[in-house]
Amino acid sequence: MRITLTVNGTRHRLDVEPRRTLADALREDLGLTGTHLGCEHGVCGACTVLVDAEPARACLMFAVQADGSTVRTVEGLAAPDGTLDPLQEAFSTCHGLQCGACTPGMLMTATHLLEVEPAPDRERIRAEMAGHICRCTGYMGIVDAVESAARAVRAPS
Amino acid sequence: MTAVEPQPVGEHRPATGTAVRRKEDTRLLTGRGRYVSDLVLPRMRHVTFVRSPIAHARLSAIDTTAALATEGVHTVFTGEHPAMRAVSLRARSALPGYVETDQPPLARGKVRFAGEAVAAVVADDRYLAEDGAEGVDVDYEPLAPTVCAWAVPTDPVHDEAPDNLLLSRTFRAGDAADALAQADVVVERELTTNRHGGNPIECRAGVARFDGADRRLTFWSGTQVPHLVRTQLAELLELPEGDVRVIAPDVGGGFGVKSVLYPEDVALCLMAIATPDTALKWVEDRVEHLLAATHARDHRYVLRAGFAADGELLAVTADVWCNTGAYSVYPWTAGIEPLMAGGLLTGPYKLSHYEATVRGVATNTSPSGPYRGVARPSTVFAMEALMDSGARALRMDPIALRRRNLILPADIPYKMPSRLVDDSGAYEACLDRAVEVFDVERWRAEQARRREAGERPIGIGVGIYNELTGLGRAASAGPRMPFRTGHDACTVRVNPDGRVTVFSGVTSQGQGLETTMAQVVADALGVAYDDVTVRYGDTDESLWGFGAFSSRQAVIGGGAAQLAGTDVRDKVLALAGALREVDVSDLDLRGGQVYVRGQEKPVIALAEVARVAYLQSDRLPEGFEPGLEGTKFYDPVRGAFAAGVQIAALEFDPVTGGTTILSWVCVEDAGTIVHPVIVDGQIAGAIAQGIGGAMYEHLVYDDVGNLTTGTLLDYLMPTAGEIPELTIDHVSTPAANPTGARGVGEGGTLAPNAVVAGALADALGVEVDDLPVTPARIWALLHGGADR
Ligand code: FES
Ligand code: FES
Repeated sequence: MRITLTVNGTRHRLDVEPRRTLADALREDLGLTGTHLGCEHGVCGACTVLVDAEPARACLMFAVQADGSTVRTVEGLAAPDGTLDPLQEAFSTCHGLQCGACTPGMLMTATHLLEVEPAPDRERIRAEMAGHICRCTGYMGIVDAVESAARAVRAPS
Repeated sequence: MTAVEPQPVGEHRPATGTAVRRKEDTRLLTGRGRYVSDLVLPRMRHVTFVRSPIAHARLSAIDTTAALATEGVHTVFTGEHPAMRAVSLRARSALPGYVETDQPPLARGKVRFAGEAVAAVVADDRYLAEDGAEGVDVDYEPLAPTVCAWAVPTDPVHDEAPDNLLLSRTFRAGDAADALAQADVVVERELTTNRHGGNPIECRAGVARFDGADRRLTFWSGTQVPHLVRTQLAELLELPEGDVRVIAPDVGGGFGVKSVLYPEDVALCLMAIATPDTALKWVEDRVEHLLAATHARDHRYVLRAGFAADGELLAVTADVWCNTGAYSVYPWTAGIEPLMAGGLLTGPYKLSHYEATVRGVATNTSPSGPYRGVARPSTVFAMEALMDSGARALRMDPIALRRRNLILPADIPYKMPSRLVDDSGAYEACLDRAVEVFDVERWRAEQARRREAGERPIGIGVGIYNELTGLGRAASAGPRMPFRTGHDACTVRVNPDGRVTVFSGVTSQGQGLETTMAQVVADALGVAYDDVTVRYGDTDESLWGFGAFSSRQAVIGGGAAQLAGTDVRDKVLALAGALREVDVSDLDLRGGQVYVRGQEKPVIALAEVARVAYLQSDRLPEGFEPGLEGTKFYDPVRGAFAAGVQIAALEFDPVTGGTTILSWVCVEDAGTIVHPVIVDGQIAGAIAQGIGGAMYEHLVYDDVGNLTTGTLLDYLMPTAGEIPELTIDHVSTPAANPTGARGVGEGGTLAPNAVVAGALADALGVEVDDLPVTPARIWALLHGGADR
């Protein structure tokens, strides 16, 4: 089936089988391998992308369901010159990542959280990020990172 | 916690001890990581394994006709394929009585666990390969499965071991029976620990390509041990080792699960050899991972401990069964868990009389392998359960009883009853610090207040442990295998522009070794951290490294990096001295500039020395060869024990069985810390996995060997909602190795079982014998009845 997706600002026309997941369309057809697959059954959160500004599990969504949508992936976060966005920067300084497998999903959910709620407290951050599994960090660095990015966004220096 | 700022020329701020920006972060944060799962090669084909739905059966016919007729399918391999037939993974050990058994790359003759690969389908993409897999028709003739390691088998898993016993060993020191008879108090416990596993977020993955003309194999693998994999593949596939290249690029977590060479890996390479010049890719999904990647910690402990009236621990006896699953894990063997259990059971406590019989028993379940902490989360639970029971019987404070028996600095080096030599002695220092940071008195007062007020009970749990890290040749990991894992190599090369490339034998699955090695070399050599680039995980680039296990890389790979950096520094200074006609002993290299000691201005830049070394042989003084690099191996011979203590306060709800962690403190002795944030990250992540194992994670088989927890909806890993804020603190006694580091990869996982179980007993007065400590288990302990 022919579909159109706008991914990180670029329009793509794709011909996909109806059973092809959005994750595979992004990773295999568009080469955007930043979106990771940790379970392929909707639990781990690694594949989270923003579809029309809402977090979605790209492993549970068929590419055809995203026809006409605007998709944001981890590759779209940094500025074109490579400058990291405040969340990415905070993940680095707060050691919110180790192996990086869960990180793209974490970043996308956190991006959404800070867009809808600029000043979440730690408990709120934990609740929001609880749809993701990180096997490396023990989560503290991730919570620290989201908290500190929220501060940085509110008070740009 | 910020990145290093640009520094003035010639200034050298040590990188060690500071939280420099991790070199791996930018690519991992921008979606530009290079994981095996991401790899695309021209005309690459995709592999799906067909897995047995039955735990134990004879394999009769496998009909691949329908599969081969499926659109997009190229080939189907089975265990009887000429490419597969003759190859077996056979984990070897010289341990007396160890029964060697074969593991085929694809099942041959019979299947031994549900999930074992029986066929492999090669197709144009993964969807088509899975379509093809549905067309593979396998006839199984069921045999009686054995799931429990302490049950008597009807049909043995391997004919060579009719009782399923693959190995058994007794550790003995002193006279435990006599000492128990003399003890004032004897406590007995019978415990089981729950089967669970590492579950890195990136599952297993591999790409294999065989160049037909050159007969060279390249295997991209998410492995923790690329050099070992190269050696093993060369042996198994009968290729010259120099014609096998193993590349582990970015790897999405390992935790021991990826330190195994799996039958799927070997099958993939064999298939690649059978279809030359065609890259084959296999990416495992989570359901396969839960079924067929190694499990761990399915153990039973029958224990007795004798104490004197003053609390002195007099004797411990243990009977231990470790469920090794269907195969002796390659190359670590079925001995990996039982031998670690018997060797480290007594932990940080002084003990003269010890007798422990440990067994590795085959069953029709997924093979057990190394998982972060190997066996010790179970043994620390066992030992601390004895301490807690002992304290109750003696009416002593549980912390005081532990303190009474700790190995102290004056006892070092202390020969444990298993004859391992403990060089730490920092247990009491860690305990003192933990008691202070946690504030035991405050929590005891709160506990009393709640009792008085009839509020929800809280309990305090304690776990003290020794993490055996950085094992050298005399303490090598694993049971008398055909290799000794004591050393790693590192090459430091100054390039013609004066910048530095490090070819390290370490590997990284998130531990930040790229950063740590760069820090160590920057300081040893005398250059800025930003001028050092690290290559690792490619056997064609780095000389040698055993890889990531036993918390060894900061100690051993770091030691090699330190030695190689120093070696090259000496070479730079020698050449600089000859070029400037200055005595070498007066020279110093800092921030990429060579100084005469005491003078403010540099005499020559490293870049100029390097230029001479590579490009201006006319300027090379007599006796100097071109080039500027050095390679060193390091082997610590023994190991570096790392002491650790965790104390926590947990609240229990007697009505629902619910548990809330109120405070969790960990104090470890990491020796000299190279990167403080990476070290704390290792500890935090390890504690989180330990809490997962203690409270949530359980791989459950039914009686006929079906895994009933086959998805992440049934196999629960903790999230940010379950893992509390952790307080991590340190004492520091530098180890006797080049960097002074002690390993920190595993320690955090060791205590949570003990801490959670101990807190439950402390709060509610019920001893929990079986893990994990779930709400259902707590409820059943309080109210009687079954817990599942
Ligand atoms: S891969 Fe989509 S939720 Fe795990
Ligand atoms: S950083 Fe490895 S899973 Fe989160």
